[in-house]
Amino acid sequence: MKSTAVEASNYSDTKGKKAQKPKSLWGHAWTQLSRDKVAMLSLTIFALYTLVAFLSVTGLIASDWKNEVGLSYGVPSRDHWFGLDIFGRSVFAKTIKGTEVAMSVGFVVATISACIGIIFGSFAGFYGGKIDELIVWFYTVVSSVPNIMLVMAIALISGKGIHSVYLALGLTTWVNLCRLIRAEVIRHKDREYVQAAAAIGGGDFRKLFKHVLPNVFHIVIINFTLTFQIAIKSEVILSYLGLGVQGRPSWGVMINDAKLELARGYWWQLAAATFAMFFVLLALNILGDALRDSLDPKLKGK
Amino acid sequence: MPSVLLTSIVVLFAITSCFKKDADFQGKELNIAVKAQVKGMDPIYSDDRYSSTEVARVYEGLLEYHYLKRPYQLQPNLAEAMPEVTDNGLTYTFKIRKGVLFHDDAAFPGGKGRELVAEDFVFSLKRLSDPKLLGNGWWTIDGKIKGLNEWREKYNKLPQTDYTEEIEGLRALDKYTLQFKLTKPFPQFLNVLAMPFASAVAKEVADKYGKELLNHPIGTGPFKIKNGVFRQSNRIEYLKNENYRKKTYPCEASEEFSKEYLKDCGKQLPLVDRLTSHIIEETQPRWLNFLKGKVDFVEPDKDNFEGALPTGNELSPDLKAKGIQLMISPYLDITYTALNMELDLFKNNKKLRQAMLLAYNVNESNKLFYNNTGIPAQSVIPPGLKGYSKDFQNEYRGAGKAEQIAKAKELLKEAGYPDGKGLPVITYNCTSTTDAKQIGEFFQKQMAQIGINISVIQNPWPRLQEKIKNRQVMTHGIAWGADYPDAENFLQLLYGPNRAPGANGSGYDNPVYNKMFEQVAVMQDSPERTALYEKMNKMIAEEIPWIFGVHRQNTGVVHGWVTNFVQTDFEPGRSAYLSIDVEKKKALLKGL
Repeated sequence: MKSTAVEASNYSDTKGKKAQKPKSLWGHAWTQLSRDKVAMLSLTIFALYTLVAFLSVTGLIASDWKNEVGLSYGVPSRDHWFGLDIFGRSVFAKTIKGTEVAMSVGFVVATISACIGIIFGSFAGFYGGKIDELIVWFYTVVSSVPNIMLVMAIALISGKGIHSVYLALGLTTWVNLCRLIRAEVIRHKDREYVQAAAAIGGGDFRKLFKHVLPNVFHIVIINFTLTFQIAIKSEVILSYLGLGVQGRPSWGVMINDAKLELARGYWWQLAAATFAMFFVLLALNILGDALRDSLDPKLKGK
Repeated sequence: MPSVLLTSIVVLFAITSCFKKDADFQGKELNIAVKAQVKGMDPIYSDDRYSSTEVARVYEGLLEYHYLKRPYQLQPNLAEAMPEVTDNGLTYTFKIRKGVLFHDDAAFPGGKGRELVAEDFVFSLKRLSDPKLLGNGWWTIDGKIKGLNEWREKYNKLPQTDYTEEIEGLRALDKYTLQFKLTKPFPQFLNVLAMPFASAVAKEVADKYGKELLNHPIGTGPFKIKNGVFRQSNRIEYLKNENYRKKTYPCEASEEFSKEYLKDCGKQLPLVDRLTSHIIEETQPRWLNFLKGKVDFVEPDKDNFEGALPTGNELSPDLKAKGIQLMISPYLDITYTALNMELDLFKNNKKLRQAMLLAYNVNESNKLFYNNTGIPAQSVIPPGLKGYSKDFQNEYRGAGKAEQIAKAKELLKEAGYPDGKGLPVITYNCTSTTDAKQIGEFFQKQMAQIGINISVIQNPWPRLQEKIKNRQVMTHGIAWGADYPDAENFLQLLYGPNRAPGANGSGYDNPVYNKMFEQVAVMQDSPERTALYEKMNKMIAEEIPWIFGVHRQNTGVVHGWVTNFVQTDFEPGRSAYLSIDVEKKKALLKGL
């Protein structure tokens, strides 16, 4: 009895697809997203930042940030849009180099955090029992330590530098995603389609990664954009405190330098770093919201 | 839950009432800004400006510098008079002042501080020499007191140091008579006795607290630490020592001090009731605290300098209107980047060192970090001391000229590192403040010009000192301020046997130089000695164990309510002479 029902539904599905070409979840989401002008603007801004970061990594732009291009603390002018710093280096070039650091930290940290969150969250939710208890215990412990302290401790142990920033932030930002994934997987694991997969002989691995995970993946995407911006903010804070990147510009380092310069009335380094940070963070926040609106099935049609 | 709430309200109330009491305090209180963390208050470890200044509020030595006499002049402090020197300058006999009491502490019977005796100095100097304690000030008396080195050697091998064993050169003849016998003439011996290293520590206290003496400063000084315990926090509070012996403000002064300075003549010291040291590492908050009147005097930092002194030598009108005064005097000091001369990289590579000095633009660093008030250093001895020659120019002193960079590159090539190829990344250690980082970045940038890669590592001040002491640095940025007005104090920074944990942080060890130093260290002031000082100074200028920086200027801004303020190279002990005009403070605070 059961097997016929599945067949029937499968049949009607394929038939429907051929007839009306309904959009997939992603296609639908994209349609909705592209209608939202603010979200599209945010996406463009984000793409621009990514482009700048790429060009900077490849050395096509701002590779000469170390060069002295004018007097110490030159004011913003047509030649130097954002003015010059204490050593006569272009603040504009430093801001771009800072973008590279920020975007790479955002990307790497969000990726690390997504990987850990997905693996722990899906195992905990899918297997339950002792594994669940262990993982829940673990993330409860991690989240009960104040984040900034944990980050500082990791940065101090693994030495200062961009790699320890990746590591420190990656290892502290996954808890949220892990919780969400776990809850969603628990909701999904007893659904009919999973049982169906089991019935045709799918193993745990197949059920989890082929069937359940694609259905909860929108959470990962939404969370990715939010972790991205949290990572950028945290990097700035760490660098401001002197625990972040060393020997290269970062927005946090620029703000740290600026706290002395402000006394002399040299505001441009602070302004450049703050604005650079402001736009990308705002864009990511708006994008995260818009993605949730379009991806979360619960919010569909609202 | 309600009880928790109630407790927190009570606690909150207690805290606020605490503050309230503070605000109501009517007495005289000094508020002093300290630029770095204080690592502890044990005299034998007080080898930096910040901790030695704090130590000297609580502890005292036999001698001190006269507060109002320039050139600096020694005068008795815990000694009753200047010592009797016999035996061709080899025997010093001191009479100790009677009736001096240690601060009250549980270490003493009945909790009452006992009277200071000559034996306390014998104990304190043995403690400074104790091989188990590794005091940072050992270099000041190393090899100078008869029998002391042998004593140190002996107990270095044994598990426990025996303080009761008599030492020939360090004895208490009776309760109030102390005698030193030196191995050789040591002209700076009395200066050394005025340093906080040689302060009087009571045996009972040292026995009770052991290593924890670092946090239990109990001396004879004008101030005692509040609650008897030093804690690592951002303020150190002191109270006036009510049992302080009769010691009065001086009635004589050198000509440069106006009559104003003698108004407190004959008054019992200390002149204030309370003293608080505020540890504010970053420059900007320090300056803002000064402007708000929270601290009584500061040095304007590089970023506020222009605003405070628009012309470089006069206060801005708005600061003047607030009653703030300006005090400028040269410092007996030098800033430098020490190269670790124990590393093969630097040790066997004079050309590399010369190239580095040539590439370092001192004029630019003077402009960026010292507002052009410093004097570029050609070698180690600062102006104001015999041995400094005004016209001497170090041929490797970089000043940003193109031909100097070319020559530096040439030298680097000769050293075997064309364009820096083959050189490892050289680490530069500095303190954790933003301006220290900028100085590091500047060094990095200067070295990059000739292809040398520098990586800047920031450390808290106590950690930096620890790393230097343990030889864990390749290069480090630091400064040295005079302990006493004699070039010997600077030349000893490069004397081989003074290697870290001594004051020679670069570990420079050159037999020729060491020999000259040993010769000059026993000479009395004479034209011959000055000539030798100059010779050694020039030798170092060519050897370049350091990237020399500048000799700084001491620029102080002082609030109008502080009286008796003088600029000095020997800050320890100054706080007892400073006073506060409470009425004037009230009036001036309104205008801030």
